[in-house]
Amino acid sequence: MVANSPLSRTKDGGVMSLLIVDHVTKTYTSSHWFRAKRKEEEAALSGVSFVVEPGMCMGILGESGAGKSTLGRIVLGLLPPDSGRISFNGVDLYRATRRERKRLRRDLQVVFQDSYSAVNPRMSVLQIIGEPLRNFERLSAQEERRVVAGLLETVGLVTDDMHKHPQQMSGGQLQRVNIARAIALKPKLIVLDEPVSSLDMIVQKQILYHLKELKEKYGLSYLFISHDLLAVNVLSDRVAIMDKGKLELMLKES
Amino acid sequence: MEGLRRLGWGIRRHRLISLCIVLLSMIVLSGLFAPQLAPNDPNFVDLIHKLEGPSTQFPLGTDQLGRCLFSRLLYGTRISLSLALLIVTSCLAVGLVIGSAAGYIGGKIDSLIMRICDAILAIPSLILAISLIAVWGAGWKQMAIALIIVQSVYYARFIRGMVRNIKQQNYVTAARIAGTSPLRMMTRHIIPNLLPPLFIVVTLEIGWVIMDISALSFIGLGVQSPTPEWGAMINDGKSLLRSHPRLMIVPGLMIFCMVALLNLLGEFLGERKGFTKSIRKMAKEARGS
Ligand SMILES: Nc1ncnc2c1ncn2[C@@H]1O[C@H](COP(=O)(O)OP(=O)(O)OP(=O)(O)O)[C@@H](O)[C@H]1O
Ligand SMILES: [Mg+2]
Repeated sequence: MVANSPLSRTKDGGVMSLLIVDHVTKTYTSSHWFRAKRKEEEAALSGVSFVVEPGMCMGILGESGAGKSTLGRIVLGLLPPDSGRISFNGVDLYRATRRERKRLRRDLQVVFQDSYSAVNPRMSVLQIIGEPLRNFERLSAQEERRVVAGLLETVGLVTDDMHKHPQQMSGGQLQRVNIARAIALKPKLIVLDEPVSSLDMIVQKQILYHLKELKEKYGLSYLFISHDLLAVNVLSDRVAIMDKGKLELMLKES
Repeated sequence: MEGLRRLGWGIRRHRLISLCIVLLSMIVLSGLFAPQLAPNDPNFVDLIHKLEGPSTQFPLGTDQLGRCLFSRLLYGTRISLSLALLIVTSCLAVGLVIGSAAGYIGGKIDSLIMRICDAILAIPSLILAISLIAVWGAGWKQMAIALIIVQSVYYARFIRGMVRNIKQQNYVTAARIAGTSPLRMMTRHIIPNLLPPLFIVVTLEIGWVIMDISALSFIGLGVQSPTPEWGAMINDGKSLLRSHPRLMIVPGLMIFCMVALLNLLGEFLGERKGFTKSIRKMAKEARGS
């Protein structure tokens, strides 16, 4: 599988890829002081390789437990892989200096499946969307409001929603808030970990359509993780199927 | 704001809880204004008037030294409450530092801190407190320090568990990805979500600490005799249990009311927030039973 991975073909193409995932392996070990590490645990990811080009959406399709979220966490820089390399924008994610990482952080964002758990229940929409802005940009309170209002509009919500709290919103609306937070810093890549799976069909469609629009508008790249073939099809330029920690096969869309 | 308003609603609908809050505030206020409210000096010995029944001068009568029982009770409230508050706040401070450090940093530091806590928790807390006082000698300061040491461990464990729980939430991950620094993560995400359950635990815990203070003072290890404290007052009256049960019943009733009211309030708050069961479990653990 490693030998005929698509990487070997795409790597030496002229364009610099935005994200290169190169032979990534990860096994969860339950290390403990008084217990020896078990060796025979099954790998969550074994030898996964693929690339994502700027402006492209890579779909990862797979059953529950296939290792999709694990891959997402590794790509986001949250979980060091056991072996292999993740290169984002030409920088090795897990060997970058603190400064490089801080810079990369801006360009790498996420939208999780469960919109309610992804936001602090004690914050208002303004505070939620304003958080990345506050961390990276020095805006006055007024400017921040204006930017947040603009972002809300971009994702199909209204300005007044910024004073609401998560409990006052529907799952679909809140997922739009999550998307607004993800695009607030104009990132290069967004990891979408089953962003529409917990929503009903109509809302799913609307949000996928919106994501597609945003991708074209800002030239965003997506890593779209899902177990829903239809959803993946709407958005993805390329689809890989993941099974038991391995990328099985690549489907290229025309 | 939102939460407060919703809580206000619940309180107005529950008669029992409004009564509970009114009674608690009355007790707290009477302790706070004890010097203004007390009709007599609580420590003034007047053997001529000893063991008198209730009268206008002595609303609850006098004890075997002729001291005004009502005045002693008011001052006792003041002492019990302020000691309990001092102990609980200190525990909270120590527990917050140790617990959130262990929970947030994790790894080896966490394991080390938690093993030490487990070792301390293996000994029933009151027995440990008594042994510490036995080493240092009796007195309210020693008692306070012993209780703080013993209880902080439990706070640290509880807070560590909560922090770990919150840290696993998706919103913390999302905030990390949004570039939030560890310090801001603590102040904006973890501590605000820690406070509501902590507030409930503190409500329950104040009641238990009052009980501990009284118990230790009753056996002579805590607040010492002339100072009016509920447990010490029961101790003073115990030799006259048959002839003048009033001397024990009155302070005993105070302790009972205080603990019962705080428990009722804590349970109510916990139920409204939906985590009574877990808190009851933790309270049990803390008691070492
Ligand atoms: N924190 C963890 N500790 C130990 N094992 C884990 C952990 N997270 C995931 N796993 C294991 O790794 C494997 C892959 O999990 P992962 O969450 O990546 O799957 P997934 O494809 O995202 O599934 P789903 O569609 O249900 O989200 C599973 O077998 C899971 O049990
Ligand atoms: Mg998953």
